[in-house]
Amino acid sequence: MGKMERFSFVALVAGIIFFLFADFVSWALPMFVLKDIPMKKVEDLAAEAKAKNTSAWSDFLRIAKLYYPEQFKKYYKEPTEEAFAKALKIGHHWYVAEGCWNCHSQVIRPVSNETLRFGIPGVSNTVSYPSEYQNELQAPVLWGTKRVGPDLIREAAVHDIGWQVAHLYNPESTSPGTNMPGYPWFFEKDKNGNIVPNERGLGLLIYLMWLGSWEVKPTKEWALKD
Amino acid sequence: MANNQELTNLVNYGLVKAHIAMGLVFFIIVAIMGFLYSLQLDGIYPFPGIEFLSPGRVRMIHTAGAAYGFLVNLFTGLLYWALPRFTGYRVLSDALGWFMFIALQAAVLITVVAILFLGQADNVEWGETPWWIDPIIVFWLLLHLVQFGAPLFKASQRGPLYVSGWYISAMLVWTPLVVFMGNLIPRFWSAGTGAGAVQSTFIHDLVGLYVTPVAWGLMYYFVPIILKKPMWSHGLSLLGFWGLAFFYPMNGVHHFLWSPIPMFAQYSAVFATVAIEFAVTSVLINFMMTIRGSAEQLKYNVPLRYMYTGAIFYWITCFQCAFHVTLTFQKVIHFTDWVTGHAHLIMFGTFGLWVLGMAEYVWPKLFGKETMYSKGMSEGAYWLLTIGVFAMFFDLTAAGLVQGFDWIGLNPWIDSVNFSKPFWYFRSITGIMMLTGLLMYAINFYKTATTAKGLTAELKSESV
Repeated sequence: MGKMERFSFVALVAGIIFFLFADFVSWALPMFVLKDIPMKKVEDLAAEAKAKNTSAWSDFLRIAKLYYPEQFKKYYKEPTEEAFAKALKIGHHWYVAEGCWNCHSQVIRPVSNETLRFGIPGVSNTVSYPSEYQNELQAPVLWGTKRVGPDLIREAAVHDIGWQVAHLYNPESTSPGTNMPGYPWFFEKDKNGNIVPNERGLGLLIYLMWLGSWEVKPTKEWALKD
Repeated sequence: MANNQELTNLVNYGLVKAHIAMGLVFFIIVAIMGFLYSLQLDGIYPFPGIEFLSPGRVRMIHTAGAAYGFLVNLFTGLLYWALPRFTGYRVLSDALGWFMFIALQAAVLITVVAILFLGQADNVEWGETPWWIDPIIVFWLLLHLVQFGAPLFKASQRGPLYVSGWYISAMLVWTPLVVFMGNLIPRFWSAGTGAGAVQSTFIHDLVGLYVTPVAWGLMYYFVPIILKKPMWSHGLSLLGFWGLAFFYPMNGVHHFLWSPIPMFAQYSAVFATVAIEFAVTSVLINFMMTIRGSAEQLKYNVPLRYMYTGAIFYWITCFQCAFHVTLTFQKVIHFTDWVTGHAHLIMFGTFGLWVLGMAEYVWPKLFGKETMYSKGMSEGAYWLLTIGVFAMFFDLTAAGLVQGFDWIGLNPWIDSVNFSKPFWYFRSITGIMMLTGLLMYAINFYKTATTAKGLTAELKSESV
């Protein structure tokens, strides 16, 4: 027994071997099982949204051309695929930095009526599946561990742009009784004195309208064309 | 005092003092952060609309600060005290110790500035430190390995290590691996479901392979020292350690049950988590049998009482875990406040109380005094912290059930918020209790360190 109680034995067996065995079972093997799912970069996501003309792409065009054309031009120039990718990145960055994921999950479990609550009524009731997370915006993954507010992985089909803007600026205005804080620093005043989203606000808006857009089928018929 | 002089040569008192003091400061800061966040849930956040005090950012300071500011500081300070004493060798280098001390505080402060002011955070739970600070933390942990590994290695040339030595040796190797794995793999070498599996492994490994082994290692040192008798069973010590070492690292995926992670990983995590309960129970039996016949000391000896209270909370948490880790329980309690209550009982109720008890045992000795400044404050802090954290646990567990069943019932979302409000108000009150206890504890520490008069023991018990 004496040998078991030495530094080198403990460090090697418990410290390295047991640890590696556990990592093999816990994540290396799962990664191996999932290895055939292609990994997408943000640019791939943007290209896909445009090619499939998903609701994320039409909402992006709507924000750029109808809702906030001046703001959009100021921060993102033309509504291109590259601008979409840039907005997704900025939106995702601030979604993480503000700790949105502390209160909002991004995963729908196959239990507890979650598909009914968070699925897309009349369109989709899918449970979360591995391939929808295999991209740069889910590294690290944003499943979350606590819900104070509802899940957001199907958000694209739940609320529209106007709702999201009002909600981000002052959550009480759309959801009476909520305890979500407002995020006024995502907004600024334009030259007419209207409160409009700034670069971060636009990014977050586009990111939110992207969440779950791949499940909105068929594409909303009122989608804008280029 | 002659004896003390010898031990001063073995232990660097300055490093112990510095780490414990900073650990306490950060403990209070992260407790205030948690309290602020709880006020947001109550709908009475005092600083609305201020960007750098946004509750989401404050919450990340609460968790990341608890890991690196509070726990790492206090554990490191206590290691500087305990490790040279039970190995009989000094740590590698005092200069390295001071460098590590400053580096750790700098890393924590940079994290605070980055999260609050720069909008730089990482969405790894318990690894909210921005990704560019993580390699620095890994490097720090490698220094930590050589600093504390040196006396352990020297001592094990001479003969078998004491139980504490096993826990701490393993922890020294695990921690840099865990922090590297959890913070960098999900960002640079995987994404999505694979990253989720790594992240969940990380959340649990930081608890199970850093906090738990270092804390148990210290418990195996302090409890027999205070009781002046050996542990009851060496066999159970072995069983407990190797049980933890084998099963704990496999627990992680239980944080994401019913997620897209392949089921075999989820099942293995559930199995390993139930198995760890047996290892934990063996450790608890060992500690309970050790105090048998000396339980009266719990009446007089506050540090010892902190340690046994924490141990009982530990067992409650692990017992609870063996049930709520099952896929059946997870249907209801996942994503609810039940989990928050569980996390607070283990991190504050067990590890918080343990380090406070150990620090209270060590602190007067560092200043050549026999007792703390005020017995009354000592007792008051103990009861406020213990009652506060247990009430919070009870309250949040109940809140979790309410939320879970409300969500299954497909009521409007806002109902679950409204139903939770009374629980959240009560949670803030328990938070006030815990904060008051902590402040009382800190004032007592400050007074013990600075008071001019020699504090002597007046306890009835023989062993102090």
